[in-house]
Amino acid sequence: MAFRTLTDEDLSIQDHAIRGTNEDAITSKLSAVNAGYIQDEYVKYFHKRPVKRSPLINRGSYVRNKGLDTLIIKFLEIEDGRKQIISLGAGFDTRYFNLKSSLRKFYKYFEIDFPEITAKKVAIIRKNKTLSEIIGDDARIGDTEIYGSDYCLISGDLRDFIEDLIPRLESNGFDRSLSTLFLSECVMIYMDPTNSNKIVEWIGTNLNMAMFIVYEQILPNDAFGSVMLQNLKYRNIELRGIHAYPDLESQKDRYLSRGWTHAEAIDMNEIYDLYIDPKEHVRISRLEMLDELEEWRLLASHYCIAWAYKVSNESQIVLYDSVKFENYKEKLPDHSIKITGD
Amino acid sequence: MGQSDLDGQIEKLRKCELISENEVKELCRKAREVLIEESNVQRVDAPVTICGDIHGQFYDLKELFKVGGDCPDTNYLFLGDFVDRGFYSVETFLLLLALKVRYPDRITLIRGNHESRQITQVYGFYDECLRKYGSVNVWRHCCEIFDYMSLSAIIENKIFCVHGGLSPVIGSLDQIRTIDRKQEVPHDGAMCDLLWSDPDDIEGWGISPRGAGYLFGGDIVAQFLQHNNLDLIARAHQLVMEGYKLMFNNTIVTVWSAPNYCYRCGNVAAILELDDKLNKNYKIFEAAPQDVRGLPAKKPAPDYFL
Repeated sequence: MAFRTLTDEDLSIQDHAIRGTNEDAITSKLSAVNAGYIQDEYVKYFHKRPVKRSPLINRGSYVRNKGLDTLIIKFLEIEDGRKQIISLGAGFDTRYFNLKSSLRKFYKYFEIDFPEITAKKVAIIRKNKTLSEIIGDDARIGDTEIYGSDYCLISGDLRDFIEDLIPRLESNGFDRSLSTLFLSECVMIYMDPTNSNKIVEWIGTNLNMAMFIVYEQILPNDAFGSVMLQNLKYRNIELRGIHAYPDLESQKDRYLSRGWTHAEAIDMNEIYDLYIDPKEHVRISRLEMLDELEEWRLLASHYCIAWAYKVSNESQIVLYDSVKFENYKEKLPDHSIKITGD
Repeated sequence: MGQSDLDGQIEKLRKCELISENEVKELCRKAREVLIEESNVQRVDAPVTICGDIHGQFYDLKELFKVGGDCPDTNYLFLGDFVDRGFYSVETFLLLLALKVRYPDRITLIRGNHESRQITQVYGFYDECLRKYGSVNVWRHCCEIFDYMSLSAIIENKIFCVHGGLSPVIGSLDQIRTIDRKQEVPHDGAMCDLLWSDPDDIEGWGISPRGAGYLFGGDIVAQFLQHNNLDLIARAHQLVMEGYKLMFNNTIVTVWSAPNYCYRCGNVAAILELDDKLNKNYKIFEAAPQDVRGLPAKKPAPDYFL
């Protein structure tokens, strides 16, 4: 392949394709909601035409959602003052509405995305009373941004995180002294690592209590991974961060080497096998016949959840260590019940 | 339907072109006459080439024929799962079925767990028939044929071939012979297990995570081989990245013949050639290159989490 630098046009095609991944994510989520995997009454407002995804993708959406929710709720339950959540590249994510309606306590929930996306999100929220009522009557709603008492939607480019976004977050109530969770669901993976690492570094340097939760692709170099990169490239999507953080170890090291206190990373197989309640296994196995087990293993091994925290005080470690998964396997007797035959 | 009609249809299908709904109906009627005569444990003579799952990957099936030789020059045994997942289940299944009708002694097709009304409605064959023919008649004709397909095969009385694996309620080949197979694949019982079970590194039997069939260990395979005076079990059903996989001291082999499964998995595929002395030769092949693949107009994008 000849070497060629990317032109502005190439970049805008890629930017466009990456913004399109929001559509894809919400389509998958709605499919999992409609098939009964996930309960989320707000997704339907963000996607009009339901598409049925395969059982494999539905299961993956479920594990992703369940895994992230588990950690986020544990973070909110830590007794360390008021909490902020900053969702990077939030797209049409409905987590704010779900947390609010399940009466979870937080000080402020910020969402950041490109203006093309936030404009659509604003329009959908304006149009649906159910959504705008959750945000509250006192919210100021602009064309691409919303400023509510506990919800703030900000448009911008994560490549300008420090220079542009931080000041605007702060002018809208972001408080550096509060415990803050940063979320990246398949977002930093699309960024050049130089840019995404500036975010990780800035947080590690400037905040006393911070947590990062990331969901993204790993293992780009095996047979499945290289086909994944090819197939995504065909859709003009490039996972720019994947080679810098290609496995669970490097995902953890991303934070540890930048002064964070503690980091963990596990793949989706581990989450499904160990950290999902066996009652849920039974429930979801009844929703749809899944005859894609080997493929599920492959696909699930190429996605991870990584989380890290940074604290400045030793005594906080025990608090933030509580953000982890419960191991259901350890509590059970042998899961594979044997039957006798002759 | 005369032989020249049939040859014409085979010609068309080899080019991945559809035949008419009436032709499908007639082909299925003929196929039924052939398949109804077959035993639940169909006898197959060596030399023969064993093939695993195809899953509608038509252009990769053509690669398989390039590597293994054309039918009828090569004697083939396909272990089921012709349909679902790939873009060309209709063309794939109809080509194999037409070859079966034309050369009944040179190709054996046994049933996989995807040759089922229920599974094809989830995994693509139903939708594909509806999309390509505008009605579900072709799907109905094909499903009727599925019910007539044999459940297993035996090569030279030494190699037992089945799509999935063994069943706790089956100890001997004669027990398989007594199954009334002319039905939709049941949710449990012997017929279901043959099409759904998997070997695993356990002792005895285990619950299958698939929700149908069982897991069975090396001790079960050893007992079954000894009891029936066999050397080997050849089966398909599970994706193997290297194309084939031997287990339990070479007493069971999994053969997988869908390269880059679902256009997503990056695996190679294999076929198992047995000569007249039952010597084994595994042939590995890769997915058809993009330019011969003739991708459907609608962008085929395997799903990922984005």
